[in-house]
Amino acid sequence: MISLEDAARKPLPSPDADTAALWRGLRDGQLLLQHCGDCGNVQFYQQGFCRHCSGENLTHRPASGRGKVHSFSVVHRAPGPAFKNDVPYAVLLVELAEGPRMISTYTGGRSDEVTFDMEVELVCEPVSDDIALPRFKRA
Amino acid sequence: MTKAAALAGHKNSLRGQVAIVGIGLSPVGKVPGRSPLWLAAAAAKQALADAGMQKNEIDGVLASPAMAAQFHRFSVAFSEYFGVRPTFSNTLQVSGATAATMFSIAAAAIHGGLAETVLVVGGDSLLSGLTPELALRSLTESRDQQYEMPFGIPVANTFAMTAHRHMKEFGTTPEQLAQVAVTQRQHAARTPGAQQTEPITIEDVLNSKMVTSPYRKLDCSLISDGGAAFVLTSAERAKALGIEKPIYILGGGECYTHEHIFLMPSLTTTGAVQSSQWAYDMAGYGPKDMHTAGVYDCFTGTVIMMLEDLGFCPKGEGGRFVADGQMTYGGQIPSNTHGGLLSFAHSGIPGSLFHFHEVVAQLRGECGARQVAGAELGLVHSLGAGFATNATTILGTENTL
Ligand SMILES: [Zn+2]
Repeated sequence: MISLEDAARKPLPSPDADTAALWRGLRDGQLLLQHCGDCGNVQFYQQGFCRHCSGENLTHRPASGRGKVHSFSVVHRAPGPAFKNDVPYAVLLVELAEGPRMISTYTGGRSDEVTFDMEVELVCEPVSDDIALPRFKRA
Repeated sequence: MTKAAALAGHKNSLRGQVAIVGIGLSPVGKVPGRSPLWLAAAAAKQALADAGMQKNEIDGVLASPAMAAQFHRFSVAFSEYFGVRPTFSNTLQVSGATAATMFSIAAAAIHGGLAETVLVVGGDSLLSGLTPELALRSLTESRDQQYEMPFGIPVANTFAMTAHRHMKEFGTTPEQLAQVAVTQRQHAARTPGAQQTEPITIEDVLNSKMVTSPYRKLDCSLISDGGAAFVLTSAERAKALGIEKPIYILGGGECYTHEHIFLMPSLTTTGAVQSSQWAYDMAGYGPKDMHTAGVYDCFTGTVIMMLEDLGFCPKGEGGRFVADGQMTYGGQIPSNTHGGLLSFAHSGIPGSLFHFHEVVAQLRGECGARQVAGAELGLVHSLGAGFATNATTILGTENTL
């Protein structure tokens, strides 16, 4: 159970050994995907093994930043006090041009503009000195 | 029965080996001044009385964790509180799917000789034990810390995105979603002690406040207090004890397809397909043989998708199936006849134990005004975490063995 004070703050990611490069990349304006040198699998998020072949021959390459909205849901009731001032906001399930999907939120427009299969483009938005969140705007 | 006979020899199968011999419920809904442990213990006391057993006959305890309790080992804390010293115990956690896994694991433990009589128990007080803000945030807290939580994604949102895609792919409508809530409210009206019994209409659902599209307030399950408990023992021992209506575990299956919603293989076809197939195969029965079901109903669209994945109707037809009255009395599969998480009660993980309580009561013929006539075979499907976890149990009376 978390405290009320914690509930009032937005949760920020704490990068770990597997994901430090991803968050460094985002801070520098790039969304890094892992490419498996053994089987060709492209994966998000970052980890020590390829989820397909269990190989460890993985390299980071920047994504094009382009994708489309596979599904979405506009939040009207905030999940706790930290997000109260943001509603309504559109949570997106984005399918990246490279294949992997990821969760994000819509930026640069109204939440009611979002539609299925809408083309979107990455925007790295700094939220602290170390962390930038990958958001998406209309392409 | 030929299919059942053919599969009865399924290698190492649990089919018919273990029976539910006692069931118990605490008060549910708003139960102020009662801790999760009290709710669990109140249900356990009733389950033992129902079985006609003493607590020293319990040698196994399986519990689900409670969000409003600080204990790291809820099953161990429960045993101390209830005054039992089990020689087999664990606290299981696969979110909303936990309930059905508790029955499979208890049955396997009994069949495998780890315990003779297992108490399956859960209790939580999400309504009285947590502030609304903490209850909501605790649910968000269960999402991934790096890739989901920073975006303010409540667990409701993951389910909403699956239902939204289902609407896009199959033309499922807001009215069809609403029908699930309306039907289950009608069921709850006949269930003593249910939290919400006031009749609602499709318009009421469509006019309720948007929570996270496409879900409005009345598409969402309740937040409640409550506990449930069950006594399980071997079929042989149930017979020796002279239990009047033992309800047998005929099949169980699970499936875990992903952790993060963005790695769910398909937003509209879930692991319930595999978990139920495994359970049906073990039981030797199929979806058309079931007389009643407890279908996990954290949201209205979840029920529609599950009616498809559990095999009660073809993929994409769930909305029409529900609108056509097929999930209520006189339809193909009367489901959530107690009112479910949407209207009976939803105290977190124990919520799906209420579905078990109802299906067992139906198979025992004890449901009075809401009895499904002649119910002998029932299914319960538990799921959680944006369909990450799925577990199915098939139950039957002595006649179905
Ligand atoms: Zn690989």
